[in-house]
Amino acid sequence: MVETLIYFYLTVCVSMILFNLVCACIFRRQGQKLNRSSLLFEQQIEAQIRSGSITSRDEAAMIRKLKRVSNLMAFDETLRRLYQREPEKTQQYIISLSPVFTYLTFEYMGKDALLAAYFPYLIFQYGIFKGQDNRTVSKTLIKLLSADNLYCRENAMLALYTIGNADSVVEALQCIDRSEAFHHPKLISDGLLTFSGNREALDVILWGAFPIFTDGMKVAVLDYFRFCGDLHAPPILRVMSDPDTGAEVCYSCIRYFGKYPSKDALPYLYTFAAYGDARWEFVAITAMALAGYPCKQTADLLKQLLRSRSWYVRYNAAESLERLQVPYEELMGEFFGRDRYAMEMLQYQHARKKLTQKEDLPQ
Amino acid sequence: MSGNFEWVKPVLDVINGFFVVYLIGYSTFLFLSVVVGSSVLYKRRKQEKLKSILQHNYKVPISILVPAYNEEITVVETVRSLLDLDYELYEIVVIDDGSQDNTSQKLISAFHMHAIRRPMHYKIPCQPIEFIYETMDEKVPLTLIRKANGGKADSLNLGINACRYPYFICMDADSALQHDSLTKIMQPILSSKDTVAVGGVIRPANDVELEHGRVVRYKLPANLIACMQALEYDRSFLASRILLAQFNGSLIISGAFGLFKKDIVIQAGGYDTATVGEDMELVVKLHEYCIANDLPYRVEYVPDTVCWSQAPERLRDLCKQRKRWHLGLFQSMWKHRTMLVNPKYGAVSLISYFYFLVYELLSPFIEILGIFSVLAAYVFDLINVRFMVLFFLIYTVFGCVLTLTVFFARIYTADLKVTPKDAAKAIFLCFFEVAFLRFVLSWVRATAFWGYQRQKLNWGKIQRQKLQLK
Repeated sequence: MVETLIYFYLTVCVSMILFNLVCACIFRRQGQKLNRSSLLFEQQIEAQIRSGSITSRDEAAMIRKLKRVSNLMAFDETLRRLYQREPEKTQQYIISLSPVFTYLTFEYMGKDALLAAYFPYLIFQYGIFKGQDNRTVSKTLIKLLSADNLYCRENAMLALYTIGNADSVVEALQCIDRSEAFHHPKLISDGLLTFSGNREALDVILWGAFPIFTDGMKVAVLDYFRFCGDLHAPPILRVMSDPDTGAEVCYSCIRYFGKYPSKDALPYLYTFAAYGDARWEFVAITAMALAGYPCKQTADLLKQLLRSRSWYVRYNAAESLERLQVPYEELMGEFFGRDRYAMEMLQYQHARKKLTQKEDLPQ
Repeated sequence: MSGNFEWVKPVLDVINGFFVVYLIGYSTFLFLSVVVGSSVLYKRRKQEKLKSILQHNYKVPISILVPAYNEEITVVETVRSLLDLDYELYEIVVIDDGSQDNTSQKLISAFHMHAIRRPMHYKIPCQPIEFIYETMDEKVPLTLIRKANGGKADSLNLGINACRYPYFICMDADSALQHDSLTKIMQPILSSKDTVAVGGVIRPANDVELEHGRVVRYKLPANLIACMQALEYDRSFLASRILLAQFNGSLIISGAFGLFKKDIVIQAGGYDTATVGEDMELVVKLHEYCIANDLPYRVEYVPDTVCWSQAPERLRDLCKQRKRWHLGLFQSMWKHRTMLVNPKYGAVSLISYFYFLVYELLSPFIEILGIFSVLAAYVFDLINVRFMVLFFLIYTVFGCVLTLTVFFARIYTADLKVTPKDAAKAIFLCFFEVAFLRFVLSWVRATAFWGYQRQKLNWGKIQRQKLQLK
């Protein structure tokens, strides 16, 4: 029995070696074929660019070819080369080929997740449909967001950011938010930053949908606002001052006001700083944010926070005091011999600042 | 057979029955490993070609911890290689575990580091710090911490206390990461909020030339011992680890390259300083901790994120290394023995733990028992020698075919090409590895417990060579 089993396994393994070797040959041939097809596409595209127009016959021929994944990959390769050589002409060509791509969007969305993820990647990579209000394509891409496959969802999102329709992007975010599949907030906040359309319109629609987002999505959107600039202080202040706002969302708001100081936010920051050890996360994040608010009251508050039992609060408070340029000697005079932990933090942050400024330090 | 020895036959029959079951189990596991491993690699290659990958440099910060003990030959090159990675937000923390050579001095002068008094937040106990140096002049912050000698686990615990970011990577000071390794190892973190640990592939760096984290010249190592290990690593990293990861059953993430979520490691108590196999112990502990506390978790494995590490080139060094690994395996399994056939731990217990117990920890003893029983059967004329030789040959060929299957699956892994010379070398050496090296290492592993107390916290040094980095 054992021998039979081993012979069986052996046969399968030998078949796998053969499979590997055959695959290697196929991959090599596919590579060569891809290069040949890509060169043919290049000649064809260059001829079409020269003639300045694409006939309906050209479109039909292109659709017929690009329905095959191998040809689409060759086309991808060609566009990549052409983009490097002549970005503007290539972009024009892509725009003129929009009807072909619209057709192909439906064609590829019906395929399995792996192939369905490839076409949105091309939309993103080459800015296909960029700036076009093509709702049918956007709706098709949004349907992909219900896929289990993360890459499929992420490529669809990247395509939507590239197309640049704000309504579609927010609709897509709501769709992700409703689904149970996990989509990392980092992917969303970094992705939103690549949005190619009217950013002001996007922000308005995002704020409109903000109350119905879950806390996780709210944090991602707030992080995006933080990287965007200082235009969102009033609505973020409203979110931060709302007693029903969740802790994670509130942390994100505090970070925003750390990056873009606002005198209206200061009273709230002082309140958070007084939360005490039980809610030390609030205090630690606020201690960091207070570095943007130079005044005596802030400095005094940070000095108090230097005595906190939380290591993180002390660390952030010392860093903020250093950034506020409170004289080091003054601080050392206050803490020397009274609070060793506070002193250690101050010494470290001071040395670190000197290290960054490359002042004299022992080697 | 005389009357006095009539008991021998039933005893040998029982042993024979045991081996039938044992070998069926082993060959089935290897078979499944290779089949699943190869198909996963094939699928990943296809995914990559069709751009089903996360392509951006998402800025999730990572701390890289490099524990070092007497690594003056390699440590500077290792840190340089880390500074070349295609990633934006990370820091490097080198922990010198009281080296007796110039490990710290080499780093300080190579990177113009400055002494600094840094307050430490001790979340995990560790040996006291002697000094800390930092520099901000490099692409990312670089910190050197020298501490009293306490072993690799203790150094990693200090690194966890000192690092700033929520995820950390542990790696060896004689290794180099491939340029895209951080981007790739972060993908499971971005894919699932439950991921607590991610393992990568270790490949022997012997005779491999790297330039800015990219392989510019690859061939199988010229040294036969290192070359056989290259085949063995392929089998282990590209096959069995992929299979175990399919059902969240990975019990090992190599100490040479693994990523962990810091807060969960701290909650679980950090690395165990009493074991020499701290890498395995931590992963087993994470399984135990998360299951006991009903925390959803995933231990993932990324087969195309690569760390190049030096494989021992002398048999003596290899034996020392394997003794150490076997001891570590024993310590980890013994410490977490409650996981043995315990349905509470699901597949981790019933498949992974059981596999490691029977086919890794006990296998050298079982193999030696097998050899003795064959000898006994021969002495008592209870053996069909022709059948035995045939069986051994079939088994050797089976082992070789499995190794070669995985070896040729390199075709699916992005960077490596198989030259005809390497293919011939692999075919020749895999027979040697299965028929010879395997038995030598079985003996080494079986005798690993001799001198156990003496080498408890030893770093287990092997002869070092400079990495071929440009």
